[in-house]
Amino acid sequence: MTTLSPQVSSRPIPNPKKSLITKLNMGTGLIVGVAFALATYYSMQTTLDDATLNFQRNNQVLLATMFMWSIGFLVGIGAFIGPFRWLIGKDLTAEEQLYLAGDGQGIKRYFKYCTDHKVVGIQYLWGVIAMLAVGGSMAMMIRTQLAQPGAKFITPSIYNSLVGLHGITMIVAMIVVATGPFGNFIMPIMIGAADMAFPRLNALSWWVLFTAIPVLCSAWFLGGIPTGWTAYAPLSVQAGPGMNAFIATIIIFAVSTAVAGANITATVIAMRAKGMTWNRVPIFVIGATISVALAVPAFPTFMVSMIQTAMDRTFLTGFFDSNVGGSGWLYAHLFWIMGHPEVYVILLPGVAILMEIVPVFVRMPLFSYTAAVVGFAGIAGLSVLVWAHHMYMSGWLPMLNGPFMVTTEMISIPTGLIFLVILGTLWHGKPWLKVPMLGVYAFLWNMLIGGITGLYLSDVPADNYLHGSMYVTAHFHYTLMGAALTGAVAGLSYWYPKMTGRMLNERAGYISFWFVQIGFQILYLGMFIAGAQGQPRRVSDYAQMYANSNRISTMGAYLIGTGFIVLLWAVIHSWRNGVIAPMNPWGAKTLEWTVPYPVPLVNFDTPPVVTSDPYGYGKAVK
Amino acid sequence: MSDHNDVHLEPTPGERFSKFLKRGDIRETLAWATFYTAVFVVLGAYFYPKWMPTVMSTDMKAIERLMVVFTFISAPVCGFVMSIFTQTLRHRHKGDTPPPDGPAIRNNRLATSVFAGVSSLLCLTAIVYGLIELNSSAEAATKDAPNALVVEVTGNQWVWSFNYPSLGVESNVLNLPIDRPVIFQITSADVNHSFWPVQLGVKADANHLATTLAQTTPIKLGTIDVKCAELCGLYHAYMETSGEVMTVSDFNNWVTAQGGHSA
Repeated sequence: MTTLSPQVSSRPIPNPKKSLITKLNMGTGLIVGVAFALATYYSMQTTLDDATLNFQRNNQVLLATMFMWSIGFLVGIGAFIGPFRWLIGKDLTAEEQLYLAGDGQGIKRYFKYCTDHKVVGIQYLWGVIAMLAVGGSMAMMIRTQLAQPGAKFITPSIYNSLVGLHGITMIVAMIVVATGPFGNFIMPIMIGAADMAFPRLNALSWWVLFTAIPVLCSAWFLGGIPTGWTAYAPLSVQAGPGMNAFIATIIIFAVSTAVAGANITATVIAMRAKGMTWNRVPIFVIGATISVALAVPAFPTFMVSMIQTAMDRTFLTGFFDSNVGGSGWLYAHLFWIMGHPEVYVILLPGVAILMEIVPVFVRMPLFSYTAAVVGFAGIAGLSVLVWAHHMYMSGWLPMLNGPFMVTTEMISIPTGLIFLVILGTLWHGKPWLKVPMLGVYAFLWNMLIGGITGLYLSDVPADNYLHGSMYVTAHFHYTLMGAALTGAVAGLSYWYPKMTGRMLNERAGYISFWFVQIGFQILYLGMFIAGAQGQPRRVSDYAQMYANSNRISTMGAYLIGTGFIVLLWAVIHSWRNGVIAPMNPWGAKTLEWTVPYPVPLVNFDTPPVVTSDPYGYGKAVK
Repeated sequence: MSDHNDVHLEPTPGERFSKFLKRGDIRETLAWATFYTAVFVVLGAYFYPKWMPTVMSTDMKAIERLMVVFTFISAPVCGFVMSIFTQTLRHRHKGDTPPPDGPAIRNNRLATSVFAGVSSLLCLTAIVYGLIELNSSAEAATKDAPNALVVEVTGNQWVWSFNYPSLGVESNVLNLPIDRPVIFQITSADVNHSFWPVQLGVKADANHLATTLAQTTPIKLGTIDVKCAELCGLYHAYMETSGEVMTVSDFNNWVTAQGGHSA
C-alpha cells in the first residue's frame, strides 16, 4: 500500500521538470495510444497471410488494434511507470508519489494519471455523465423511431445498432454510476481513510475504463452492434466488424472492474478509521462493497465469453458454433452467470445511497442496520443462483426451470428487508423533502413496480408469455433506472456540496426530478401495456395494434430527456455559479461532512476516531 | 400466580393486540394499506385480461389466471409500502432548516419478524402456486402427447416455416385444428430465434441443430399472430406470420387444399 503521510506533503518537489512523469498526461496518452493503434493496424494489414478469410482477418486486425490502443494510451499516460520501476528493483520516490497525487496542480490533475481518490471520483463522474448522455440520446432516437408504426426515422440496421449500443453504454455507465464517483470520492472519507488502499490501481481503473469509451464509440463507424447488449451467439459470431468493438470494450471494462473491485474491497476491509467496527460502517459503504465484491467473481465469465466469441470470429474455434460441436447455450450461460449478479451490482449501491439519505432527512436512526446488511448480503448471495431464469424458454434442460424459479422468487425476501429498512426509518418521520429525499420516494414506488413485475417474470408459465416482450424491457428499466439511477441522482444532489463546494441549484433539481419521474411512469406504463399486448422487444417496427401504447411511451421518453437536460444544466451551472455550500448543509453525521472543501490531500488533519455509528439521530424513546 | 381480583394484572397478548389495533397510527396505516391493496387488486384483475390478447389455448388461460393471482399475492405488499409512503408524505416537514429529531427507533424485533415472516409466506405462496401450475401443464402435456398433432417449426432469418409431417403439408402459416393437442418441434436454420404464437401463450427458442419442444391445446377459434421474440438480426421486427385455429373440417379442407392427406 502506498498511502501518503501528511509529513511528506509538506516537502517540495526537487527538479520536477526533469522527471518524466511530470510531462505525461491525457494528451501524451492519446498520442501514444493512436500511434500504437496505427502501427498495429498497418503492420498487421501488410503481414497477415492473404490466404486467411477476409472476415477473420478483419476481426484479427481490428481486435488487435483496439487492444493496442488501450495499452498504448496507458503507456502514454504513465500508468506503467510504477510497475516498470519495480521491474528494475526500484520504486517511485516520495516526491514522485506526491506529484502523482496531483498536489497543487489545479485543474490539470484531472487530465493526468492522478492517484488522489477525489480526482478519480470526479473523473468517473464526468465519464458517467458522458456515457449516460450518449446512451440517453440513443434512447431518444429509439423512441422517436417507435413513436408510430411504419416509421422511417432510421433503418432497421441502424435501429438494431442503436439498441445494442444503448444497452451496453447504459450497462457500463450504470455499473460505475454510484461506485465510480461516490465510491471513489466519498467512500474513503466516509470510512476515515487518507486515500484508497491502492491509489495507483485506483487511477488505473479509471483510465482503463476511459480507453474503453473510444473503442465502444468506434462500433458506430464499424457498422454497429446488431446483437443487442446480450450479444448472443451465433448472431454475434456472424455479425460485422462493429462486434469487435463490443468484445474489446467488455474485455477492457472487465479489467477495470476487477481492479476497482479489488481496490474498494481492500480499502473498506483494511483502511477504516480507528473505532469503525463493522457495525459502525455507514450503510452506503456496506452496499457499495457488497456490490463490487459481487462484481469481482461475476465479470470474469463475461470476459471469458467475449474472449471465446473473439476466438470464434478470428480463428473459427467454434466454441459457440453448433456446426462444429459448440453451443449457443454455453454462451448464454456464461453471459447470464455474469448478467444476473450484474443487475444487483448496479442496484445495491443506488439503494445504499438512499439508505444513507433517509436518516439524515427524517432525523431518525436507520431502522434495523442488521436487516439492511442481511438484505444486501441475501440479495448478493441468491443472485448468483438465479441466472438460468433468463433461459426458461431457451430449450436448455426445462427440468431445471422449477429450481431456478424457486431461487429467483426467493430474492423477494431479502428485497423485502431493504424496503423494511427504508419504511421503518420513515415510520413516524416528518421527512424534509429536499431533492435527495425525493429520490427515496421515487425509489419506493419504482422498485415496488419493478419488483412485482419481476415476480410475474420469474414464474415459468407467465414467462412463457412475457419473455422477450416489451414487458421485460419495462420491468428492468423500472429496477435499473427507476431504482438504481434514481438512487445515484439522489446521491449526486446529496454529495454535490462536498464534491464541488457548491449547492446544486435546487429549483432545477426539483424541475428535473418531476420531469424525469413523471416521464418515466408514462414511458414504462406504455411499455408494460405494449408488452402485455404481445409486442416483442428490440423491434424496429410493430403492428398497428400497439400504436397507442408506443405513442404514450415516446411522449414519456421526451419528458425524461427534458428532465435530464435540466439536470445537466444544473450540474454545470451550479459547479461554477452555485451558492457556496457550508461544510455540512444537511446536518449529517457521517465523516465526509467533517472535512472542509476543498478536501485536503490526505482528507483529515488528524485521523478521526469513531465511537458510534453515524445514525445517532432522534430523541430517546420512552 | 394468577389472581382474578388483582387489578395490576399484566395484559394478555390478545388484549395487547387489540390495544395495538386501537392506536391512531396503526389504524391510519391499516386504512391506507387496505385502500391501496384494493386498488392494486382491482387494477390487476381488470387490466391484465384487458391488455392481454384473446385467450386461445389452455396455456394462455393459465397464464392470464396466473397474472391475476400474482397481483393478488403482491397487492398487500404494495398496500403496506404505499401506506407508509402516503402517511409520511402527509406529515412532511416544510421549511429550509432540517426538521426536529424524531423518535430514535433503532429496531423493533417484532415488527421485523412479522414483516419477514409475512413476506416469506407470500413468496412461498407464489412459489407453490407457480410450481403447481408448472406441474399441471407438464402433466397435461404428457397425457395429451399420444394423440397430439406434431408441427415442425423452423426459424430462418427472417421467416417461419411449418411442417406437418403426419399430414404431408408444408406451410408458411400456422393453421391448427381446435381442441386437438399440438406439439411444436422447434429448430433454427441459422441464429437463435424464439417462436411465439402470441394468443397460444407458447414461447420457445429455436436453436440451430437442436430441437425444442412446446405443447398446448387450442381451445378457441380465431387468428394467431406468430412472432419472433429473440433478436435475430436485421429484419427481426418483420419475422412474423399468422395462422388460424380452425374447426376440424375447415382444417381438413385446408390440408387437402395444400396437397396433404387429412389426419
